[in-house]
Amino acid sequence: MTRRLRTDARLLPLLAAAVVLFGVLAHADATLLQAGTYAAIYAVAAIGLSILLGNVAQISIGQAGFFGIGAYAVGYLTTAVTWPPGVPLWLQFVLATALGTALAGLFGLVLGFIALRFRGHYLAMATLAFGLIVVGVVRASGALGGASGIQNIPFAQFGPLPISGAAAFWYGWAMVALAALLSTNLLNGRTGRAFEAIRNDELAAEVLGVPTRRTKILAFAYAGTLAGFAGTFFASYLGLVDPGTVGISLSIDLLLMVVLGGAGGVSGAIAGATLIGIANIYGHNLENWRPVIYGVLVIVIVIFFPRGLVGLVRFPLPRAGAGPEEATTESTRTPDAIAPSARDTDARVLDANGSGASLDAGMTQPWLVVEGATKRFGGLVAVDEVSFALENGRLTALIGPNGAGKTTLFNAICGVGRLDAGRVLVAGSEVTAWQPHRIAALGVGRSFQNARLFAEMTVLENVVVGAFVTERATFVDDLLRRAASRHSGRDAAERARAVLADLRLEHLSAVLARDLAFGDRRRVELARALAARPGLLLVDEPAAGLNARERARLREDLHALRERGLTLLLIEHDMRLVMEVSDRVMVLRLGRKIADGPPALVRNDAEVISAYLGTSA
Amino acid sequence: MMLQQLPALIAAGLTVGSGYALVALGIHIILRATRVVNFAQGEFVILGGLLAYTGVTTLHLSIWLALAAATAAGFALGLIYERLVLRPAARAGELAVTIASIGTVYVLLYGHALIWGSLPEPLPFFSGGARDATWRVAGLEIAAQQFWVVGLLAAALAVLYLFFERTTFGKAIRAAAANPLGARLVGIDVERSRALSVGIAIALAAFGGTIIGPITLAGGAGGIAIAIKGFVGAVVGGLDSPVGCVAGGLLVGVIEKLLEGQFSYGIADPAVYSLLLAMLLIRPQGLFGSRAAVRD
Repeated sequence: MTRRLRTDARLLPLLAAAVVLFGVLAHADATLLQAGTYAAIYAVAAIGLSILLGNVAQISIGQAGFFGIGAYAVGYLTTAVTWPPGVPLWLQFVLATALGTALAGLFGLVLGFIALRFRGHYLAMATLAFGLIVVGVVRASGALGGASGIQNIPFAQFGPLPISGAAAFWYGWAMVALAALLSTNLLNGRTGRAFEAIRNDELAAEVLGVPTRRTKILAFAYAGTLAGFAGTFFASYLGLVDPGTVGISLSIDLLLMVVLGGAGGVSGAIAGATLIGIANIYGHNLENWRPVIYGVLVIVIVIFFPRGLVGLVRFPLPRAGAGPEEATTESTRTPDAIAPSARDTDARVLDANGSGASLDAGMTQPWLVVEGATKRFGGLVAVDEVSFALENGRLTALIGPNGAGKTTLFNAICGVGRLDAGRVLVAGSEVTAWQPHRIAALGVGRSFQNARLFAEMTVLENVVVGAFVTERATFVDDLLRRAASRHSGRDAAERARAVLADLRLEHLSAVLARDLAFGDRRRVELARALAARPGLLLVDEPAAGLNARERARLREDLHALRERGLTLLLIEHDMRLVMEVSDRVMVLRLGRKIADGPPALVRNDAEVISAYLGTSA
Repeated sequence: MMLQQLPALIAAGLTVGSGYALVALGIHIILRATRVVNFAQGEFVILGGLLAYTGVTTLHLSIWLALAAATAAGFALGLIYERLVLRPAARAGELAVTIASIGTVYVLLYGHALIWGSLPEPLPFFSGGARDATWRVAGLEIAAQQFWVVGLLAAALAVLYLFFERTTFGKAIRAAAANPLGARLVGIDVERSRALSVGIAIALAAFGGTIIGPITLAGGAGGIAIAIKGFVGAVVGGLDSPVGCVAGGLLVGVIEKLLEGQFSYGIADPAVYSLLLAMLLIRPQGLFGSRAAVRD
């Protein structure tokens, strides 16, 4: 459980109590109730943006567009549409709310799809354009009232009761409670782990089997859905909706609320929306000073308090070892979910045949076949018609001078960057041009030359993401916190702990990855790859930068992995290590394979010596 | 569309497009130097026009002197903006700079409304004469100010070209933007280059606000629209290509005026914003840009 989720878990009960207290004390004060109701409406939309910005690191300056879609749907459906007689007003409102929210979610999917193409400022501009297009379209549409919008929208009804005054306050905060509950479920589930992984390192997440594209689209759709949901109530509460109320300044206000409260999770969004909601009502007579102050606040906060207001609240860290599930779940787990003994758990963790893929134990297909692989960068041929098949359960080393195309070949195998020609087969399936996460799901693990750990996550959280491909919980399972979601998280944490124990890394579980020593970083990355129970493991220069003792341990690790049946492909420059651990050595030079055979033979090959090894080998 | 309207619409399009071109170029310069898109670029256009307005009305400067003063003030404001907002925010990450520049939009948009009021004010025409002075060119009546706008844009581009291509100073700034580490190694002060880049970009914005001011009026809440249309121009032309930015800005202006002429005023804006999304999806590197720049 990341720091922000812990903050949420502590703060949400306090916020709920404060809201109830506020509602009770303010029930006679119309202005206070109004401020509180607007705060609730903004909070629902801000929660979505907070997750998008803080948990997935995707910016959107177009959230008002979704808000507007929800608001206009309710406005239009409850004023301009003739309902069949007998449909009471409350049912109209419910149907319009459902439709408007769903429509906003649908547009969120579309924007998410568009957003996949961009990062950073392109994304900011694309989302800004989306918001402006929505405003432009409603302004130009006669059916939606043009510039003057839709007036005289009836109050929503709860049975015969109009939802106004105190009822609106409670209805609004019930919406917040619902949004907070669903969002907390989501963030504590497998989807939340995918979000965090993407925020920290998108490429590493994808290679570990996280479907980053789909996850980002879902995040946009979810944020859009919440903004639309907020808009549905806004229209009926205010009684009107016009292009100005759903314009760019609302998008910027929402961004401000999230930045002010603290992006990521739900409590920051609620706190920020409440402050701005109240300031908007009571700061009304400040006129233009109010937005000027908001602007200065945004600048000051992103520079000096990047975690926002809730980031200022410090809670003591829980004891080491708390994972995606709190430590207490260990006592409640079902007996069949854990292995009978620690030894068996280890064996299971590192057993190639038990990999996440649905492969037979007695698999006869080679784990990896590469045929005529060619990759060009402009005029440079980085990999030139390389072909080979790996023997299962063996360790094959890939050596060659810098720039020989070794890492490019690794990338091509994992699906990072397309081959210009040739094919890659993993366990018999042609995976050429597949996305990396699908290849990972077949049982292909990899480590990176520069150990791409998720810097802001603990060692345990890193390794839990490694187990992502073995998890089965879906987005909806997470949202509703179904049993599948809870078990999935517990099993992943269990597997991660077992791998850490096996590599004797448990003592580092609670350390943030960015605080690790270099040698530990590499071993944690190895643990993360192993948590997926891969059948084929690609290891990129694991010995680089290690001291003598760490190298000795690496050698032991590689031996152990090989003995447990993993098929290994190793890029390495340390010739002594290569000669000791390899069953077979392939040599690349300028993208071409110039030698391939047992280590002893390759070592004495004249071409290899002149190209690479020199006389000392 | 009446065919005889076409030249007038294109001339009007090139006029507003000159403003977008200067915004696009400013966004390009800041992006090159700091790796962020300055969302506040349009607000600095508005601010430049208002500064010139104060120069003309309060200080009784001629419009030409006011133009020089507004441009110089823009340069100084750019240095301050870089030092107080962009540089500190950069330490907190790219997302933080983007958000800080959006915060600056609020500060400037409502800040100038506090000082000058929210209604736009007219700037005097550069020809000095009657407001509706027109020149006949090839049988067409073209407003004199339209010539001034396009001509001053060309002059500004020529000065920029000479500065960045022909002076050691300009080359140093480009080097610092292209490869900060390499530039630092050969003794270029990268921080100062960044600050100067932002100064130049904001000076361009203020210059643009003043030259289009007589036609579009100075002030008002149009800064966000100007910023995003400038960005559309930059994306259409190619964010990493200065020529593309200028061409794209002019093109967006012409498209906008043609749509307004053919359809209604309200349809042009959403159409131009849709053009941004379409361009980003179909050809994100723009007409003149290189593909490598897209994923930056």
